[in-house]
Amino acid sequence: MSAPEPMPTEPTTLLQTHNVNIRFGGVQALRDVNIQINEWEIVGIIGPNGAGKTTLFNCITGFYAPTSGRVRYRGEDVTDLPVHKRTNLGMGRTFQNVGLVKSSTAGENLKTAQHLEVDYDPLAGIFGSPRTFDVEQHTTDRARAILDLMGLAHLEDTRVQGLPYGVLKRLELAAVLATDPDILLLDEPGSGMGPEEAEELGDLLLKLREEFELTIVMIDHHVPLVTRISDYMYCLNFGEVLTEGLPDDVRRHPEVVRAYLGDDPDEVQ
Amino acid sequence: MAIDDQDLAAATVGASPGAPTAAGWIARAGVMALIGWTVLCYPTNVLSPFTVGGVEANAASEAVIFAVIGLSLNVLIGYVGTISLGHQAFVGIGAFTSAYVVTEMGQEFFIAALVAALVGAAQAALLGAVSLRVTGLYFGLITLSYGIMTQESIFQIESLTGGTAGQPAPRPLGFESDFRYYYLCLIVLALVVFLDWRLIASKGGRALLALRENPRVAATWGINVKAYTVLGFAVSGLFAGLGGALLAHRDTNVVANPFGLNLALVFILMTVIGGLRNRAGVVVGAAFFALLRNGELLEILHVDNLFASDPINLTAEVLPLVLGPIMLLLTITLFPGGFGQLTSTLGRWLRGGSFKFVKADKEVQITDVRA
Repeated sequence: MSAPEPMPTEPTTLLQTHNVNIRFGGVQALRDVNIQINEWEIVGIIGPNGAGKTTLFNCITGFYAPTSGRVRYRGEDVTDLPVHKRTNLGMGRTFQNVGLVKSSTAGENLKTAQHLEVDYDPLAGIFGSPRTFDVEQHTTDRARAILDLMGLAHLEDTRVQGLPYGVLKRLELAAVLATDPDILLLDEPGSGMGPEEAEELGDLLLKLREEFELTIVMIDHHVPLVTRISDYMYCLNFGEVLTEGLPDDVRRHPEVVRAYLGDDPDEVQ
Repeated sequence: MAIDDQDLAAATVGASPGAPTAAGWIARAGVMALIGWTVLCYPTNVLSPFTVGGVEANAASEAVIFAVIGLSLNVLIGYVGTISLGHQAFVGIGAFTSAYVVTEMGQEFFIAALVAALVGAAQAALLGAVSLRVTGLYFGLITLSYGIMTQESIFQIESLTGGTAGQPAPRPLGFESDFRYYYLCLIVLALVVFLDWRLIASKGGRALLALRENPRVAATWGINVKAYTVLGFAVSGLFAGLGGALLAHRDTNVVANPFGLNLALVFILMTVIGGLRNRAGVVVGAAFFALLRNGELLEILHVDNLFASDPINLTAEVLPLVLGPIMLLLTITLFPGGFGQLTSTLGRWLRGGSFKFVKADKEVQITDVRA
């Protein structure tokens, strides 16, 4: 991983967007979005559908180029870097609709996700250089260890297609962990989960942060989950940051309540 | 034959009811010996189960060469997830390069084949770079015109290809006879099978399979989608170049005429019907179509007069294009794994599993064909 830059804007800032704007034709999907994520933080991003949350993730991870504005990672301007290079810097993300290779097995998926960790040239692999066999063994072992950690070891040889949604979400998280990230950007990790499962997910994320020294940014509609584990929270609406602050403050903010959570604040509880 | 990981996984499932009896193992050994005998001894007069001469040996060589080409196209359609309607040009470039290096530059066959493989890889990589910009149907059109353009222009340059007279391509030392040449083809096929096996078992192949299915996910896992797409094309071109070199020296003289669209269609049919991402299936499918095309299969089955007389007068050459689409239809609708579905069933049984028929994943296969 890259060493800390000589002059970081702030010592603990890991990720920062600076007046990010993005326009699709006539639609201003993001307008002057400034967010800042510090190391070791869990940051929640909430907002109604179409608020631009996933678009913001796409700008941060490199799928969209912002019309204007910059994205900084560890003080370094990464706005023009392609997706895979940002992964190399330590960004890991999940997708709303489950980012996995569905026709492969769970084990294969985790080996594929370790792409940057696999230390040999792809051509050496094709021509069967003896060293690649050892590295492959190590890759398989590591995949197994991560599956084990996530309680998915029994699925190693199972094809991903057709697994239940909750398991897929968990497997996707395992795959992202296999890329050895410093920051996790989770797009609706709790979607489709009941209150109990969401509770479990929250515990899991806290445990993972501890174990892998992760910073986590999560988009979710599951407000109780987000408020419980987040250290800081942003609320987006119509492509703008409506408000930000401590989770409980954001949740109770009158504008948030009106824009997103309905007119009755008790509903949030 | 090398084994897919998936096959292995399925095999362990199939083996669960109990290991086969002694009689079961003898039956398996017998089948294995029969396959080995047919493949290895086919073109030798003494031990061959068939009465063969030079013509039959050459036909068998062609089947093996087509298997190499099928594996090449499998990389493109099965792993990269794109299509090439100009694959005959990939093969033709390999053929002419090898013939040129041997005849005009006076090099050994093995050097010529290596050069042909590298040139094949380079031209495929170039086309791969185009595929990054143009995808789907329009890329198919580009490959189609690339194939025709190559046949009509590059293959006609007299100083390179000998024009209509063709470029002589003598057999390599020690493999002059038709029988021995067959074994050379088998050796190259074994090499290509090995490379393909290692490709899929290493990071390059995994990256290709991921980006074929979901380039966005592949990129977030740190895979350079563009670079690996080009790499996939290059590997396909490498195999095709080797296949071309073998074809050239089998015929001992290369002309542009056979490298037409007709051939490209046979290549695609044999690969898809063989079963994408299934090595053994592709090899069997390619061999089947090669033998169908050169009339050998009809002869073995004694049906060579069936199609080549009034009122239906189909020569063996066009037969693949009549039977092929029907088989393709069946492959897509009923038999998504193609020949591979049969070979993996047989393979499982030979490894001691039960003779259980596992249907290939339909949904995934269909998206390939649509590509």
